[in-house]
Formats: sequence, structure tokens, C-alpha cells
Amino acid sequence: MRLLLVEDDVMVASGIKLGLTDAGYAVDWVGSGERAEEVLRTESFDAAIIDIGLPAMDGLELTRRLRRPGMASPAMPVLILTARDALHDRVQGLDWGADDYMVKPFELPELLARLRALLRRSQAATTAVLSFGPLALDTAGRRASIRTDDAEQVIDLGPREWTVLEYLLIHAPKPASKDKLLQALTGWDKEITPNAVEVYVSRLRGKLEPHGVALRSIRGFGYRLELHAQ
Amino acid sequence: MQRPRLRAMTSDLRNRLLILLVLPLLALALVGVWLDYRSADEAAARHDQRLLRLLPALADSVLAPPIRDSEPPLLLLAPPVEDFLRQHPGYAAYSVRDTSGRLLLGDAWVQPAVPTTQAPEFHSLEYGGVTYRVAVQRGRTGAGELVVALADGSDPRQQWAQQLLLRVLLPNLVLVGAAGLAIHWAVRRAFKPLVDLADAVERRSPRDLSPIDEAASPAEVRPLVHSLNRLFALVNAQAEGQRRFVADAAHQLRTPLAGLQAQVEAWAMMARASVPAPLPLNFDKKHPPALDGQVPGAIVLGVEQIEKLRHATRRTSQLAHQLLALSRADARSLDAQPSQRVDLKDLCEALLESFLDAATGKGLDLGLDVQSAHVAGHDWLLRELLSNLVDNAIKYTPAGGVVTIRCGVRHAMGLHRVFLQVEDDGPGVPEAERGRVMQRFYRVPGSVGEGTGLGLAIADEIARVHHATLTLGAGAQGRGLVVTVVFPP
Repeated sequence: MRLLLVEDDVMVASGIKLGLTDAGYAVDWVGSGERAEEVLRTESFDAAIIDIGLPAMDGLELTRRLRRPGMASPAMPVLILTARDALHDRVQGLDWGADDYMVKPFELPELLARLRALLRRSQAATTAVLSFGPLALDTAGRRASIRTDDAEQVIDLGPREWTVLEYLLIHAPKPASKDKLLQALTGWDKEITPNAVEVYVSRLRGKLEPHGVALRSIRGFGYRLELHAQ
Repeated sequence: MQRPRLRAMTSDLRNRLLILLVLPLLALALVGVWLDYRSADEAAARHDQRLLRLLPALADSVLAPPIRDSEPPLLLLAPPVEDFLRQHPGYAAYSVRDTSGRLLLGDAWVQPAVPTTQAPEFHSLEYGGVTYRVAVQRGRTGAGELVVALADGSDPRQQWAQQLLLRVLLPNLVLVGAAGLAIHWAVRRAFKPLVDLADAVERRSPRDLSPIDEAASPAEVRPLVHSLNRLFALVNAQAEGQRRFVADAAHQLRTPLAGLQAQVEAWAMMARASVPAPLPLNFDKKHPPALDGQVPGAIVLGVEQIEKLRHATRRTSQLAHQLLALSRADARSLDAQPSQRVDLKDLCEALLESFLDAATGKGLDLGLDVQSAHVAGHDWLLRELLSNLVDNAIKYTPAGGVVTIRCGVRHAMGLHRVFLQVEDDGPGVPEAERGRVMQRFYRVPGSVGEGTGLGLAIADEIARVHHATLTLGAGAQGRGLVVTVVFPP
């Protein structure tokens, strides 16, 4: 995975680069929006992390420009970093093509988690495969599978179970609310009851938990996909 | 607390005015008494003169020696003497004695000492409760050398002494008393606008530094109101300056802190990944430390030390963030921003998402109990408020505990009150400490965890900005802490 880091603060940049490199990403670091634009024209990245407070061309402007045709893949997720926490900047950043934002100072594990989620979604958009730990959902072939050691085991899912799992996978590691799951299910059933969600979740649990993938209940909210160490 | 002080001030002023006014009044009364005495004295002197003039007339009235020894000498009162005696019946008397003091004519009680010379003398004589002025002279008469005396009970000096109380002192005392009452009433009247103003200032919250309406103030205190408003403006400006300074300082701190934190977090990740291999650390910014650790001048930090460093860095970052939030939650800086409709249920769900990992990591059951509820407010501030409450709950609740975020609408006394609540089953806050935990940087003595002591202060400040009330209470079965924010209807 190749990432572009656009950040003018040396301390922040080297820290992020260190952390990302350690997590197994290849990181290209540039210190200005102009340089980033140049690099993006010729090379391709899996994701970009852009600081808003850049010296000349700011991060918002860069985000807007890189969404123009011929700059970067439209599927490339952009995560913006900001020391400003005014709502206005966040909303503007998201409006101008950023996929997520983080407010400085931040905790590196959270940056990594957000980046993973962004990458998983963009990958799903291009390869049609949603994955979470050993679990993979091929949305084009409608095939769910679990990797165990070297073998791959196909999991048989009903259409409603598929819908629930797909929704949970798209949002992982964030939890998904029962309401949203219910909404996703109404495409199948007009008169579905909230209990139905519980039914499908418990069926999914029966199929996934033996393989170390858990559907944890979040009291009063919904469910979350988690990995259990085996 | 100010009112009694003002009362004391007015009564103090009243006493002073009383003293300042009564003393001159008393002095005036004394002068009056003296003048009165002087005029009485003059009148008395005129009386004396009259008595002196009458004495020879009385002497002349004794025309001839007695015919017989046992009889009095022949007396024919001269008209002036007769007039005198007639004018003051009962208060005038005379006597004629021989040089040995034997009464020849007149009243026996008019009995002054016999003068030794021819010069007239004056005496005072008490008779029948009346003090008489007695003029006495030894002189030649138609009946040889005799002693004639005239007594006058209408002596102004004596009357003056008797009437002193009634005529002079009493009016003055009445005057002083009336002045006292008048001062009491007048001071109360005069200070009423001031007391009212003090009340108005008193009723203000310490945060309310808006100017007092000058036009609505009584004319007497308008200059004072004007000065107060000027002072409010100055204090406002100063507070604003201070707030801006804290905001700027906190803001400026965030970039270097972000750098520091990114570095330390990266080391911590690497250190955990490579346990037990020690981690090299160097201070060359341009070249982040490489994993191989072959940099000259490198020192070695253990995983535990790095974790401590990370812990401290996170706390510092949080503090900078909270200081910034606190300075931004100031009511005065929010006036410019319009409030929007905030979905509390969405907010609770968002907070649950962001704190889920922290709660899970600590072995806590973080859950929701939410109903649809909306308030008009500032989205990011309410988020900050709830985030501080949840953060506190997670920090202070021991592993295995339960933290619940609630929102909804309460129906109380026909009113719909939207509320936001965070409940935990941790150690809670003793009732005696509940007032103080809202203070900035105050932490409950003996509390564990890594709080900065700002969380509740921020939450309280934000609640106040939204005209909501934040209250602390005990959780179900008296355990834990429940923080409730109730919004105005």
C-alpha cells in the first residue's frame, strides 16, 4: 500500500511516517501542496493524508484539485488533518472531496484504524471484495469466505444474512446501529420487525464465531464486527 | 451578601449625618440660650434700674415720724411706688424698717440685711415659692434714717431660669428630634436609587457583564451607572483578551504537540511490535530514527518508558484541547455564531462510536439508552460537553463497570424538557464534593485515573451557554455518578 503524506510540520510528518511505515505502508512525504500536486500527476497512491494548514496552497485547495479529472483515482481516499476544529473546516473538507478528517493532535492507532477503514472501502469499490480479518465478502460474486491458515472456507449465507453482514463489514470497525440494519433489510421485507435483525445476527454469529469473527452487541445501539484471537 | 453591607453603610452615613447636623443644632441651641439669657439679663438690669429709681420715691413716701411710739410712721405712697405695687399684685412688696431692722411698715418677709452704707443693695429672697429681687437702701426719710426695701417677684432673670426648660430647651430638643427623623427618612429616600442599583448589580451572575440600562436608572445614580458600565466594559475587554490569549496559546500548542505525539505514538507502536528489542532514539528531525538503531549518539528507551512518555503526551494534548474548548465555550464569543438544531440521539451515537474502543479496552460496558430529542444549540460544543462526560465516566469507572449515555424528553409539570445524561457505576462523587468538582482543575481528593480536572468545568460551562443546567447525582442504588444536563423548554 502506497500512501502520500502532505504535511509541512517535520515533527508530525516524521512521526506519522514512522508509524505508518512500521504498520507496513510505503509512505511518500511531501511538504507542500504544490509539490503534492506535481507528484500526484505522475504517480499513483492508494490513499492520501493531507494537512489543512499548508504554507501556500492549503490542504482544502489541494483536496479540491486532486479530485479534478486526470489527477488521482477518484477512488483514492483522502484523509485530512487539521489543527482547526471549527465545524466549518470539517464540513468544507468533506464537501471538497475528503473522505475523513482527524483533528491534531491525534493518536496514531486511531489514524491507522481510520486509514484501514478508508482503504477497505476504496478497495471494495474497485475490487468488489470487502474484507475484515479472515473474512472476505466478494460482492460481485456474492460469495462469502473465511481464510483459515492456508485453506479458504466458503460460508453459506441467506440473502438477509448477507445484507446484514455486508452492512457490518462496510462500517467495520465502527459499530452499526440496529435502526440502520433494519433499514438495509427493508429492501427485502416491507414489514420487517426489529426482532428480525436479532434473528439474522444470531444466525450470523453461529456461522462466523467458530472462525474467530464476533458480532458484538453494543447495548442500546447495535452490533460491531470484532476479531477474536483464537 | 452585599445588601447588609450597603445597609450598614447607609446607617453609618445616617449616624454621621445625624451627628454632623445635631451638633451644630445643639450649638445653635446653646447660643440661643445664651442670647436669651443676655436679653433676660438686660431686662433684669432695667428692672433693677426701676427698683433703684423707686427706692428714693419709697423713702420720700415716709412723710413723718410716728405720732406715738407704737404706731408706724406716716406713709403716703408716692404714685410711682403705688403703680409698681399695683402692676404686680402678689409679686411686689415693700418694707420700711428702722436702722435696727425693726419692721415699721410693709411686709414682714421683705427682710434683707440692713445695709451699712447709704448705697443701694440688691438681694434675692425666697418667699412662697417665688424668688424675689429685693432692692434695699438706707436713707433719710421724713421719719429720720430708715431702711426701705422693694421686692419684685417678676424678675425676668428668675423667670428665665424657670422657663429655661420650657422655652428654650424643649423647642431645641424637639428640633433635634425632628431633624433626626428627617435625616433618617431623607437618607433612606436619598439612598433608595443606590440601594436599588446595588440590588440590580447583586442579582447579576458573575458572568453577566453587560451594561446596565443607563436610561432606566434614576437620575441620581446615572453617573455611577455610567462609571459601572465603563468598568464592565473594561473588565469585559480584559476577560476577552485573556480568553483570546488562552485560546491562542492552546491553539499554538497543538501543532508542536501533534508532532511530539505523532513521534511518541510511532515509537510506542514500534516498541510494542518489537518487544523486547530496545528502541533507539535520536533527535535529528530530518531523519526519523531507523529500526536498526545504528545511529551514533543513540540512547535506548524501554517499552515502559515509551508508554509513560506517550501517556504524558496524550494528557498534555488533551489539556491543550480542553483549554481551547473552554475558552471557546465562552458565552461572549458565541454570540456571533447562530445556533442550530442538534440531534441529540445522533450525537450520543457518534460519541458511543468514538469511545467504544477506549471503553472496550478498559473492559467497560458502554451502551446507549436514547430516544429522539433535539435542542437548539452549538453542535460542536454539545459534542464537547458529552465527550467530556463520557471521557470522565470511562476514566473513573473501574474495569467491569457499566457506562450508559442517555438522551430523551422528560415530561415534568406539563413541560417537555430535553435531557442528556451519562451514568456510570464507578466510585461516584461524594455529595460534599459535588459543588467543587465543577471548578476548573479541581479533582476529587484521592481520585485515581488521569483526569485533568477540566472536564466537568467545560461541561458545566457549555451547559450554561445553552441555558441548560448540569447536575450531579448518585446512580441507581446510590452507586456511581449520574451527570444530567437538562435543557430549557
